[in-house]
Amino acid sequence: MKVKRFAMVLDSNKCIDCKACTVACKVENNVPVEEGNYRNWVSEGALRGKFPDLGQSFQPGQCMQCANTPCDHVCPTGATWVNKDGIVLVDDHKCIGCKYCMTACPYNARYYNETTGAVDKCTFCVQRIYKGRQPACVETCPTKVRVFGDLNDPESEVSKLLVKHAYRVEKPEMGTDPFLFYLI
Amino acid sequence: MKVMPENAAIGQLRQALPDKRSSTALMALLGVGVVAGTAAIIYVLSVGHLHAYNLTREVPWGILISTYVFFVVSSTGLCLVYSLGHVFGIKKFEIIGKRAILLAILTLLVGFGTIAMELNHPFRMIIWVMLNPNLASPIWWMGTLYGIYLVLLCVEFYALMKHKHKLAATIGLLGFIAAVTAHSNLGAVFGLLEARPFWHGSFLPIYFILSAMVSGGALLAMIIYLNNTFRGRKIPADERNFMQSLGKLQALLLGILIFFVVWKIIPGLYGSPPGKFEATMAMLTGPLSVNFWLFEVLIGLAIPFAILINKRTRTAFGVMLAGVLSTVGIFFMRYDLVVAGQLVPMRVDKAENASPLLQYVPSPAEITIVIGAICLCVLLYVFAERKLDLKGMQEA
Amino acid sequence: MTIAFSKKLSRRNFILASSCAIGAGSVAMMGHRYKALAASKEVFELNDAGSRDVFTSCGMCVNKCGVIARVRNGVIEKLDPNPNYIKSRGMLCARGNAGLDTVYSPDRLKYPMIRTGERGEGKFRRASWEEALDLVADKLEGLAEKYTRAGTVFVSTEGFQEHFFTTFAECYGSPNTLRHPTLCLASNIQGFGATYGTNPTPDVLNADYLIMSGANRSEALVTPDSIDMITGEGGKRKVVYLDPRFTKTAAKADEWYAIKPGTDLAFILAMTNVIVSENLHNRKFVDDMAVGFDELREHIGRYTPEWAEGECDIAAADIRRIAREFAAAAPRAVYYQGRRSSFFDNDTQMRRAMAILNVIVGNWDTKGGMVPGSKIALEKHDYLAPWYDGVPLRLDDGSATYLSNKDGSWKYFRDRVLEGKPYPVKGMMVYKQNPLVSVANRQKTLEMMKQMEFICTIDITMNDTATYSDVILPEATYLERQDPIESQGGILPVVTTRNKCIEPMYEAKPNLWIMQQLAKRLSDEIYASFDFTMEEYRHHQLKKRPDIAKALKKNGVFYEKTTPTYGTTTGKRLRTKSGKIEIYSEKYAEKGLDPLPVYTRPNTVPEGRYRMILGRNAYMTHGTTANNKYLQELVPENSLWLNIDEARKRGLKNGQMVKVKSSLATEHLRLFVTEKIRPDCVYMAHGFGVLTKGQRLLQGKPGSDAALIEDNVEPISGNIAMHQTFVKVDAA
Repeated sequence: MKVKRFAMVLDSNKCIDCKACTVACKVENNVPVEEGNYRNWVSEGALRGKFPDLGQSFQPGQCMQCANTPCDHVCPTGATWVNKDGIVLVDDHKCIGCKYCMTACPYNARYYNETTGAVDKCTFCVQRIYKGRQPACVETCPTKVRVFGDLNDPESEVSKLLVKHAYRVEKPEMGTDPFLFYLI
Repeated sequence: MKVMPENAAIGQLRQALPDKRSSTALMALLGVGVVAGTAAIIYVLSVGHLHAYNLTREVPWGILISTYVFFVVSSTGLCLVYSLGHVFGIKKFEIIGKRAILLAILTLLVGFGTIAMELNHPFRMIIWVMLNPNLASPIWWMGTLYGIYLVLLCVEFYALMKHKHKLAATIGLLGFIAAVTAHSNLGAVFGLLEARPFWHGSFLPIYFILSAMVSGGALLAMIIYLNNTFRGRKIPADERNFMQSLGKLQALLLGILIFFVVWKIIPGLYGSPPGKFEATMAMLTGPLSVNFWLFEVLIGLAIPFAILINKRTRTAFGVMLAGVLSTVGIFFMRYDLVVAGQLVPMRVDKAENASPLLQYVPSPAEITIVIGAICLCVLLYVFAERKLDLKGMQEA
Repeated sequence: MTIAFSKKLSRRNFILASSCAIGAGSVAMMGHRYKALAASKEVFELNDAGSRDVFTSCGMCVNKCGVIARVRNGVIEKLDPNPNYIKSRGMLCARGNAGLDTVYSPDRLKYPMIRTGERGEGKFRRASWEEALDLVADKLEGLAEKYTRAGTVFVSTEGFQEHFFTTFAECYGSPNTLRHPTLCLASNIQGFGATYGTNPTPDVLNADYLIMSGANRSEALVTPDSIDMITGEGGKRKVVYLDPRFTKTAAKADEWYAIKPGTDLAFILAMTNVIVSENLHNRKFVDDMAVGFDELREHIGRYTPEWAEGECDIAAADIRRIAREFAAAAPRAVYYQGRRSSFFDNDTQMRRAMAILNVIVGNWDTKGGMVPGSKIALEKHDYLAPWYDGVPLRLDDGSATYLSNKDGSWKYFRDRVLEGKPYPVKGMMVYKQNPLVSVANRQKTLEMMKQMEFICTIDITMNDTATYSDVILPEATYLERQDPIESQGGILPVVTTRNKCIEPMYEAKPNLWIMQQLAKRLSDEIYASFDFTMEEYRHHQLKKRPDIAKALKKNGVFYEKTTPTYGTTTGKRLRTKSGKIEIYSEKYAEKGLDPLPVYTRPNTVPEGRYRMILGRNAYMTHGTTANNKYLQELVPENSLWLNIDEARKRGLKNGQMVKVKSSLATEHLRLFVTEKIRPDCVYMAHGFGVLTKGQRLLQGKPGSDAALIEDNVEPISGNIAMHQTFVKVDAA
């Protein structure tokens, strides 16, 4: 079976910052609300202009599922690892809570989950996608900002979008080779 | 590596009450510190890290990490200074032997204890670093190298106590290599993170070694001088003479350190490089500015340097004082380094009213653990001074 | 290692060395076993054992998006959007996802409660359903004796089981059902209804030009409009948005104007003026389908863009250009009427003007325009309400010009209760509504409730109204009930329903059961109208439509088409007096109202004060969700938006606490200094500053808009006018 390369393409222009993705993710992945942590987020961009000529953009984000994975490099016990399809995962049993991966991540995508006793982050809803479903954030988004799929499949929607449209990634200068693509 | 034998130590200490009154007061004070630290540890273990520490997902490394680095830099420094005499054969430095290694071991162990309080699963670490090592991880190497270093130090101390000179010489060399490797690797723990421009690069591994040398000399001065003070005797001539030479060396090292600090700051400012600039400014004018200017620069560098380059102030007392001040300075240097590197957010909040820098202030629990650790280290050393024969002079 | 040892290998050293070697060797040999142990597994179990999916309908707001609940071992694990639900375009918002917390919140009502302390103290004792229901029935009978059947008001808001509550009110014999529309869209329905005979649905998906007055669709989510506004066709859509605040909709719109609040009527009249005077209107349509255009032409002359600029702070050139663009894009151009219209006391006339503007560009009943909604018919349940002698008309009868007999008008009703005229109302039954939070002038609501002899609230959480009641009955949440089949109208009518995901927790019961139990205790005659199970009720509704039943079972939703049908009214009479669209309203003229909208300037903001405006965000539903743990995290506390220049002038800093004082009350809020609001306005969120101690996440979170806002009223529809309150803002 051919190896997949999971990725997500986002059209931030459609994002209305309704936070549906953040709540869906928390419920789906049992992120402890009491600890004030989150796997994904929507950032409010800088406000452009002065009243009454204003503009603002919103940008969702989460773990970039980097191919040149800084968190994977630095984890002393190998608790953080990348599966064959490119998803960066954490093995709860091996995590010692040294937080090195959290300082190594250029995107502040990781947090320590006190309830599971390990570092946590977006896993592209790995428990859903291998059942043929979409990640919770993708499925729930009102304006369909997010598209998820296999980049190794040229017929997938993500592949087609990246062919048709110009796109960018976050912090390309870090060389992390992220797999969250933002359409320009 | 959780260090919890302090209660036993306190018990024994009570039996070995010192005969000097000032020492009693000191011991009592240190004992209080250790008790407070223990209480803080119990508190942390019962309420959990989330509630006890002021750490966040953006600032996960705080004063516990910087204190660990401080202890480890002290340990490395002592080993380096010891090596000057016993590995590289500089006669003058043979004055220090057992004391240096002993304190190197104690600071290392207390350092490990401090970081164990930061780790969520210290016992898991011991298992998995061996079962599933990640050779690309600087922290894996840190654990491994410091482990080897600790073993070598212990063997060295054993060799010194049993007067096994050949063994001591060989292990000494290996220990020196381990110290340099482990400590520069510790610099690399920070320096290999591309995500953090303030830390990234070859500077930190090299700077850590220099810093260790300064630290070693400072602690050495303190050991020699205070040892005499607490034994209630005047400092002997040969030691006084040695302190002069040490002072000159320290002056040189401090001068180089000042040079290093200047050249750390300039690239942080010139052209305002993103990430690096904000962190540098956090130190110079921002929330860490008091730490930097008062403790790092004035107390840690300027005043000791001034004391040491001036022949008249470069007395044994002056050298000891400079040692104390530069040790304090180094404590803050490690704190500022660790914290400044994290105050710059990885995801800058650009919404209105957002602050460009994150915040971190150590929680009472964190501070108390640090105080407890320092007190414990000193206490253990003083206790060891009482119980063991640590006379320094070694035959070659 | 040779240097380390002297020529003579001591025994001790040998033992030491060999043990190390053996140890290392053993580890190496077992290496592969450890490696297997060490290898990280794909630790996520992919098994579904024990999990089942349940089709249901969200209950977190009015949109009722289709939901698939994932239930495992009697626990609802996740609420997912139903991809077949065309009205929601297969999405589920933050509140929908957070719906779990209504079931599992520690603050939810668990069992019937009877008050022990003073009213409002929050002291209750647990009672059995028997005792509580007996008490309620007893009280209702007593009130009927003393004050006639009209002496009890039945307060409720929309919901799939609300129908049983209003039926109960009817069977009990009270004409006084008081619902939420006059806190919301009554004036909108009135203004558009008077023009078209119905309140049409804008075809947002297909419109090329959308003008929205304050309908903050990117935050005040309405399906599918909020989605279609962003994702609609071809990218050639233009959205013009008028709002005193730079909301998220403003961020998405093509043009945003910080219009002076209350002057939308000026803008609309000026646009109409341009279109009429430049003959950009759809002549054929107006001639064939509408009456009163000539009167309009005469009337509109004075409302020039230059005049409007002075009123609404939008440049005349822009008004002119927008009017021309709007007319050019017609008929696929819509002036979006929005939903909530409880802003100003001229709102009905403003909506009339809005409707007229839509009319003259001919966007009626066509693609991309204003389309009359339809509804898929279901079988109705027949019942016979008993007749009672001597029951007066509803209390607020004759108050507003056009009062809905079912909804009433909160403002007028409450005033009359307080007056005690024309007759006293001393009983209050509440279902799903929280008047102490949702109705302006909280003090009056408190007084109204204080003078009641008996209050019973049916709800799911210990909110303010429940705290001030005498008997509280816990309803099963929307995830714990079978509900009736519901037909949702609009341009894409759908049929949906709710299926029980889990058994109701604690002693909560569905409203139908509660109504049945009360009915049983009142009389056999009343009970006869409730003598059925939910299954029977649902079965009866779909008696003639087995295809709907099948679709509901298979997909959780039924719809007849996925694209709207246009032109259904062609050649038919509309539900107006003339049978045509009424630009000029005869019926308004007959009632002494302006037959064509006449501009009235909103009251000016006094010196040193600010106009308090209200609005929505996408994470909260009115006053009901602030205590939801997922949503409360997104808005932990209330804040007051103040313009950055104003703040600078007044020396007020972002994040400081301020005192906000209206003519009614003083509330405390944290200041949010921002560019995003007009200097003459301030804004605060809804749902905070609660009085109850029973919502733990809201304790110590001040700022109640209900306390501050005056109950001004729009007299034609009886809709509250909530944006006419002026406040002083000072450092706390």
